[in-house]
Amino acid sequence: MKIFHYINFILIFLLLIGICVIEDVMVSDSLYQIQKQCFMIERIVNEKENLKNMDLVLAVDNLEYKWFEDESKMCYLVNHKSIQEIGQEISKIKLYIAEDNINDFLASIDSIKFYCHGYLHFMGASIHNVL
Amino acid sequence: MLTIIIRSIIIYLIVLLVFRLMGKRQLGQMQPFELVLTLIIADLATIPMAEVAVPVLHGIVPLLTLVLLHFVLTLISRNSQKFSKFISGKPIIIINPKGIDYSALKKLNLSTDDLFEALRGCGYFNISQIQYAIMETNGKVSVMPKAEFSPATNGDLKNEVKESYLPIVLVSEGKIIKENISLAGLSEEKVLNIIKENLCKKDTKLKEVLLLTVDQTGQAYLQLKEGEGKSFTTERLVKI
Repeated sequence: MKIFHYINFILIFLLLIGICVIEDVMVSDSLYQIQKQCFMIERIVNEKENLKNMDLVLAVDNLEYKWFEDESKMCYLVNHKSIQEIGQEISKIKLYIAEDNINDFLASIDSIKFYCHGYLHFMGASIHNVL
Repeated sequence: MLTIIIRSIIIYLIVLLVFRLMGKRQLGQMQPFELVLTLIIADLATIPMAEVAVPVLHGIVPLLTLVLLHFVLTLISRNSQKFSKFISGKPIIIINPKGIDYSALKKLNLSTDDLFEALRGCGYFNISQIQYAIMETNGKVSVMPKAEFSPATNGDLKNEVKESYLPIVLVSEGKIIKENISLAGLSEEKVLNIIKENLCKKDTKLKEVLLLTVDQTGQAYLQLKEGEGKSFTTERLVKI
């Protein structure tokens, strides 16, 4: 077999390794960031005990911005439909701020954390996913 | 829709690359593991094409993984007879001088009808003409006829024959094949002269020529797009 065939296969091998590493790093990085943001939002809600404050609105805006930025990157690697729930929950929590509905707000934040945990489970490389 | 068009083009190019990397054997005589890969590739390629929510990478990554797997399997089977037999199997003699080997047929899950169909495909309609028939690993049947039914060759008949050579195409559909012209040791002008001399028409244009071939002995064939073919002898070629 010609040498360029070997080079081709080495390049493909490196490309596949690269894609796997990028996926793992990008997914875990962004989902941990989102979880961290959620914990911060919960802390703000617990401290202020209402939803009508500037810190919370800014934190939620940050969460929204961060998620839409990461989601567009993750769409290159995972099925878009599989990761749409977080975006939907973020839209809901913005509505709950306007309504000052603290219980549903916290429930949505919990859902986001839950989805992050779930996404980390099915996107990363693990024996559960393989089997 | 534009997304689907672009995705289809990307996937098509990737599949084309995959088949080129797998080699020409993939297209003809496939071994079992190659057939499996081809079936999977065909299925994988369609998913990201039609499903817009699925990233193109979900189609590309498995395709490239299969190329790597194919490469590794081919490499190992080339270096290990045992492994090669394990993944491709080995040729099995189904007809020997004693007749049909029924146990071999059963092992291959073949009926006598299947066997006869394969033999007819090889040009043998009577089993008594066959000395050996072998089921190859790619599923094709190779037949060795009995000596009395083998076609006579010039060697058998002790005929004196001239060696034949591979003709090379100098002009195809009005276009000069530069690589072949240099291989034949000719120039473009020389080729045009050959065409004009043998057509007895000085105003013949290159684009009117359908085919011009020449072999090492100088035997040439020329045909215009509108006209009959003509065989003639020209100068002997030097390089090939």
